[in-house]
Amino acid sequence: MNILIADDDSMSRHLLEKTLRREGYGVITVDNGRSALQQLLLPNGPRLALLDWMMPEMDGLGVCREIRKDHERPYVHIILLTSRRSKQDVVAGLEAGADDYLTKPWDPGELTARLRVGQRILQLEDRLVEARDSMRFKATHDHLTSLFNRGIILDLLSRELSRTRREEGCTVVMLGDLDHFKSVNDTYGHVVGDEVLREVSRRLLASVRSYDFVGRYGGEEFLIVLNNCDANKAIVRAEEVRSAIANHAVQTMRGPLPVTMSLGIFASRDWDLWLVEDVLREVDLALYAAKADGRNCVRLAKPTVLSAAPNPPVE
Amino acid sequence: VGRKSTIMRQGDRPAQAMVNLDELLIRVENDRALLCELIGIFKEEFPPLLQSLQYAVAHGDMKNVEAKSHALKGMLAGLSVTRAAEMASELEQTARDGETLELIDSLTLLEREVASLFPELDGYLIEMGQ
Repeated sequence: MNILIADDDSMSRHLLEKTLRREGYGVITVDNGRSALQQLLLPNGPRLALLDWMMPEMDGLGVCREIRKDHERPYVHIILLTSRRSKQDVVAGLEAGADDYLTKPWDPGELTARLRVGQRILQLEDRLVEARDSMRFKATHDHLTSLFNRGIILDLLSRELSRTRREEGCTVVMLGDLDHFKSVNDTYGHVVGDEVLREVSRRLLASVRSYDFVGRYGGEEFLIVLNNCDANKAIVRAEEVRSAIANHAVQTMRGPLPVTMSLGIFASRDWDLWLVEDVLREVDLALYAAKADGRNCVRLAKPTVLSAAPNPPVE
Repeated sequence: VGRKSTIMRQGDRPAQAMVNLDELLIRVENDRALLCELIGIFKEEFPPLLQSLQYAVAHGDMKNVEAKSHALKGMLAGLSVTRAAEMASELEQTARDGETLELIDSLTLLEREVASLFPELDGYLIEMGQ
């Protein structure tokens, strides 16, 4: 682990550096507060810092305050080095954002013990962040395919429609459904069915741009949101997705299985529909048309019927 | 290298030793080479810092007196020159309190205190074969 030592006293720096290197730490030394702040703000900068209280350009308290302003960065454990002993000073240091303080001249045993405390706190923080990220992922992703789950993909669609309308752009929505998937489950079992769903999900992700959204809408239904996509290219993009699924059989434990997908497509520029429910209704009708036309094909929702169409808009 | 060595038996040390060597050895974890390096840094940086302090006192520059005496205090304490560090601390406080008249006396006391410091440090270096 790297530790930042910030002290304008070169004797202090030298002694600290030697002591910490002996303990196996990596060490970065600077002689003023401004440089300390720069080091701490670097990507992958040190997460443990020993800051002298009084330094040129910016004192240790100033560095603490600046670091604590940024809540998005990984936590930095800061130990203030000070010759000040009054309770008021200690409180001021802690209030500024320091986690601990050490009085100069320090005892090497106390120094290394306090650094180990800092390390333990950082390790705990890392575990908490990891757990939070894991929970966040589980709350937003489908556990089988790791695609966005239904709630999140609909939320993303809603946001994207709003943005598109504001910017007068176009969002393309695709609803894809695996053809005859029930027979895969019935013939080969759900384990093989799950293999197919995972591989299809992987291919869907691979066939869109990194900033497009792919979610599992239902059992074997997938919702794809193409941001800022030219409406004229909607069918071409959908064909790319369809062929990504159909062109190669899915390898499963029961051998290769041919799989196809039917897709309904909706291009927001063609319609004056901005509610998710309306968009889903139209794209679902287009998917229905693709199924009715023999499956393994794509159909575009038509802007000819704007409400409660008795018949699905079929191309 | 050079750890766990005895530098100077307590009885052999100067009777009026300014450096609390026992404390300093604990702080450097008996690393003789490190101790020599610290003394080297001190010998290089202390004189110009003291000169800056003298200049600031002569010109009544209280802000600089406070800053320089604070830095001197840190250096002296870092080398376990305890009494002189306390004097530097008093000088720092005097400047902070704005007591101009007492500055020169406080500085004189500090100068007298550290007058024999360098020979003592040189003695340690010779003892350690540097």
